[in-house]
Amino acid sequence: MLFSMLRFVSVCLIAALFLSSVAHASDANSTSSQIQPLAIESIILDIATQGSTTVAVGERGHVFIFDSEKEGGWTQVATPTNAHLTKAFFITPKLGWAVGHDATIIHTRDAGLTWQLQMGSPEIEKPLMDVFFFDESNGVAVGAYGLFYRTSDGGTTWLSEYHEELLFEEDISYLAELKAEDEALYLSERSALLPHFNRINVLSSGQLIMVGELGLVAVSDNQGKQWTKVDFIYEGSLFNTIQLNQTIFVMGLRGHIFQADLDLGSWKEVILPVKSTINGALPNNDGGLILVGNAGVIIDVPVEGKSKVIQQRQGENLVAINQDPQGHIWVAGTKGLFELK
Amino acid sequence: MLDKLVNGLESYLFRHRAFVILVFLVTTVFLGLQASNLKMDAAFIKNIPLNHTYMQTYLKHQKQFGGANSIMVAVEDTSGDIFNERFFDALKNVHDQLFFIPGVDRAQVKSLFSPSTRFTEVVEDGFAGGPVIPADFSTTAAGLTVVRNNIEKAGIVGRLIAEDYSAAMVTAQLMDFDPQTGEPLDTLAFASQLEEELRTQYENDDIKIHIIGFAKMAGDVADGAKGVVLFFLIAILVTAVMVYLFSKSLVLTFLPLACSLIAVIWQLGLLTVVGFGLDPMSILIPFLVFAIGVSHSVQMINAVRRRVADGKSTKSAAASAFRSLLIPGGIALLSDTVGFLTLLAIDIGIIRELAISASLGVGVIILTNLILLPLVISYTQVTPPKRSHDPSNDGINHIWKKLSAFATTKYAIWVLVITTGLYALGAQQASLMKVGDLQGGAPALHFDSRYNQDTFYITDNFSITTDVMTVIVEAFPEACTYHSVLTEIDEFEWLVGNTPGVEATASLASVAKRVNAGFNEGNPKWQVLPRTTASLVQAVGRVPTTSGLLNGDCSVMPVYLFLQDHKAETIELVIDKVKTLSAEMDSEKLKFKLASGPVGVMAATNEAVAEAQLPMMLYVYGAVFILCLLSFRSLRATVSVVLPLYVVSTLAQALMTLLDIGLAVSTLPVIALGVGIGVDYGIYILSTMAVRLRDGMPVQEAYYEALVERGSAVIFTGLTLAIGVSTWFFSALKFQMDMGILLTFMFLVNMLGAIIILPAIGAFFWRKPKAL
Repeated sequence: MLFSMLRFVSVCLIAALFLSSVAHASDANSTSSQIQPLAIESIILDIATQGSTTVAVGERGHVFIFDSEKEGGWTQVATPTNAHLTKAFFITPKLGWAVGHDATIIHTRDAGLTWQLQMGSPEIEKPLMDVFFFDESNGVAVGAYGLFYRTSDGGTTWLSEYHEELLFEEDISYLAELKAEDEALYLSERSALLPHFNRINVLSSGQLIMVGELGLVAVSDNQGKQWTKVDFIYEGSLFNTIQLNQTIFVMGLRGHIFQADLDLGSWKEVILPVKSTINGALPNNDGGLILVGNAGVIIDVPVEGKSKVIQQRQGENLVAINQDPQGHIWVAGTKGLFELK
Repeated sequence: MLDKLVNGLESYLFRHRAFVILVFLVTTVFLGLQASNLKMDAAFIKNIPLNHTYMQTYLKHQKQFGGANSIMVAVEDTSGDIFNERFFDALKNVHDQLFFIPGVDRAQVKSLFSPSTRFTEVVEDGFAGGPVIPADFSTTAAGLTVVRNNIEKAGIVGRLIAEDYSAAMVTAQLMDFDPQTGEPLDTLAFASQLEEELRTQYENDDIKIHIIGFAKMAGDVADGAKGVVLFFLIAILVTAVMVYLFSKSLVLTFLPLACSLIAVIWQLGLLTVVGFGLDPMSILIPFLVFAIGVSHSVQMINAVRRRVADGKSTKSAAASAFRSLLIPGGIALLSDTVGFLTLLAIDIGIIRELAISASLGVGVIILTNLILLPLVISYTQVTPPKRSHDPSNDGINHIWKKLSAFATTKYAIWVLVITTGLYALGAQQASLMKVGDLQGGAPALHFDSRYNQDTFYITDNFSITTDVMTVIVEAFPEACTYHSVLTEIDEFEWLVGNTPGVEATASLASVAKRVNAGFNEGNPKWQVLPRTTASLVQAVGRVPTTSGLLNGDCSVMPVYLFLQDHKAETIELVIDKVKTLSAEMDSEKLKFKLASGPVGVMAATNEAVAEAQLPMMLYVYGAVFILCLLSFRSLRATVSVVLPLYVVSTLAQALMTLLDIGLAVSTLPVIALGVGIGVDYGIYILSTMAVRLRDGMPVQEAYYEALVERGSAVIFTGLTLAIGVSTWFFSALKFQMDMGILLTFMFLVNMLGAIIILPAIGAFFWRKPKAL
């Protein structure tokens, strides 16, 4: 009896030691990404290129670098995050950033080989959706519920901004009332009332354009410090914007894509053959666009004439499309990367 | 003392021989009546190792998540397109028919027509959705177009609809007990209902019905097993011819066969008495009983004839044969019985039943063939063989003379060298023996059987596999509302999913992520587990408990692993990965437990079988060793009987490797059966030798006399046994074929071992006379 008690105690002790060391180990791992064989087939949300560098980012902090010399081309690299990475941006072939959920920002100085964590705030429970740099030091990162950060030191420090000017009018008055009554509720409502900022881009005019939830289209002349909402004809979410020659396109939910001249004065809908959400766009060789979207659609939008679905992939949503320096066109989505031929 | 007992028994039995025969007759009639009530029986539960830890998990959660006992019916339109009236009518009929077959868990019947088959889509102001087949469905072109669009939105292509829209699926879970009567589900009756009420009724030139699932397989296996009746008749016929050639007497052909058939009747009758049915595996036992019975009978008639030839009357010859054979025959049969009983150590119902029915059968032979047979013979008039004038006898004795050279050291050394070499090669191959099923489809059936063709059809046309293993995550009530819990499950699922052999995975975590993306306008950038509790609850809340991804209070959440196949290596790899991960990730509040699903069951069975192999061998060899030691009272005699057996069972394992036969529930018992029966030869040969060796006769001479006395009977026995089981080679069931090949091998080669290796060992053990 005594013996079995002793044995039981010692087993417990061993178990406790074992468990604590495991817990420690998994703490260390819990925030970094893991290299896994199927990572390349899991959700990949963006492909960024700059010079000779091509980098893709996706779920669980996965980052891949492309090397055309290598068999298969893509290699997964380690990152200090396991957050769902939504977007990557390179200002030079070496310097780049990737952003994602839990307000995560990671940074590379060696063309994507190694990454450092610049920001990660799970507690605010909001994802970043895009990142853009004006030069090596100055950049902005935007995200859900009007999340907006700015850096002027290459990302060492990121400061939050609140772009009240993008609130809806009725929300402005509601917030004003609330502020007087209940400070705490005011703060929480304030942080949730701005629309999602889904995509930020620079126009040939030097203006910034940002698109987002509830038909948000806004422009800024001063690197996003002050925004002006553009009158827009659609109230659904917009996920992407691209400039092609003198035409600006915005696109989003359920097959909606609109075009306008550089002055953004009047919008015209481009009729697509499907009602799938459009996520990514790339200029094609003929001056038109290739669009990718949910339900696996790849659509060719010529300069003149009707758009048509050139491929529809079963059971996956396509999110991003880009061309590497060698001219391969890559498409990323919920089943990873593939080359469009 | 033993001799006294035997003598007493002899004089008692032979004095009351009429009465004793009457008792046998009455018993045979009674047990024959019992045997006529014997039913085929193939319960799922009998095939699994119930006490294995995986199976404990399986049984614990079986009610909530269904077990491994599911049935899939694919309805195929041979035109290649399902969107027509004929097909939808057929599909609805199949769905309804399956729903009403007793034993089906009605809540879990799923197809296009079940109300739980719904679609959802994202629109500007939220979700829209409804049943895939709307309430006002009609099989018009417009109605079918609506359904086609809904199917695409519902994301059920590959699951309920074939990838190329040429077929649709109806799935159901079976209950182990009929809820109305509380009786265990009659799997075979269920299977024939599937065949009659689904396949026969709805299959035609345009519509094909493919049915898979354990119950259907068991039904097909039982149907295939019925073919053994024919094999049994063939075995009887061939054996009869052989016995006649051996005995050259119709009476002495008839009596051994009759006594052996009486043993079979007793064995089958006793099965009913102890409450067993006959399942496709233990249906092979009557063959063994018959063959063993005949081989012992042959020893008996051989002994009687010799004594008659020596001038005794038939009656006293029979009595004397009884006396001389009761001990060696009894020991041999006892060691058969013990060999079978060792199988009881294996915790799989079907093997235990096999053990019991086989030991009953062999035990019965002691009565029918060692007692009844000589009593009946004593009533007949046996003509003595014309020994000295029979040229064929001289021929045989000449062969025995040559064979006896194996008992000289000169030849023995070569026998032993070759045996050692064979053993070394065999052991090397045997170590490569695989555990589990080595081919796709249902391993019990042949590759080209209808069932396996249906399996391949379904796995080719649907992204469904029957090779599913489920890891059960046990947490605490409302666990799924915690981000940390779902993140752990998600992490586990991802890491297991990255194991080679795992083709796809599903869990509440991964589905909740997709639902969350759905709540965010279908944007893949939101395909995450939301940190906000409200959003998480919203996402999880859309997943119904009927999905099988969570229980009512989400304290239990299975992770489904879809594997590329159910080969033993694949299963092992995945099981190892799950064990590593659960060792790392298990905590007080969250446990990842193996295993459910068909492959979970296979994993447990493989482990149980692999674990049982060594103990089983130890028990069976231990038993044989002790029995030999008791009967010969000599270690060297025991070793010379057991060693050849061991070499042969190693060679049998090597044969399994070479023929790609895996160690499975059906092949595991073969070694025990082979050793238990194979020992007979050695016992018969050596028991004759032992008397002479004790009298100081040199080995070669003793061996020669043993051959003259028993040699032809031993060879005959080996051939009879081999013929009985080799008919299984033509069985419709793959496992019967495997068992047939292995048993034939063991019976023949053990016989060779007894007449070649045994004397060779003896040549060294008893170089000096009187050394025993």
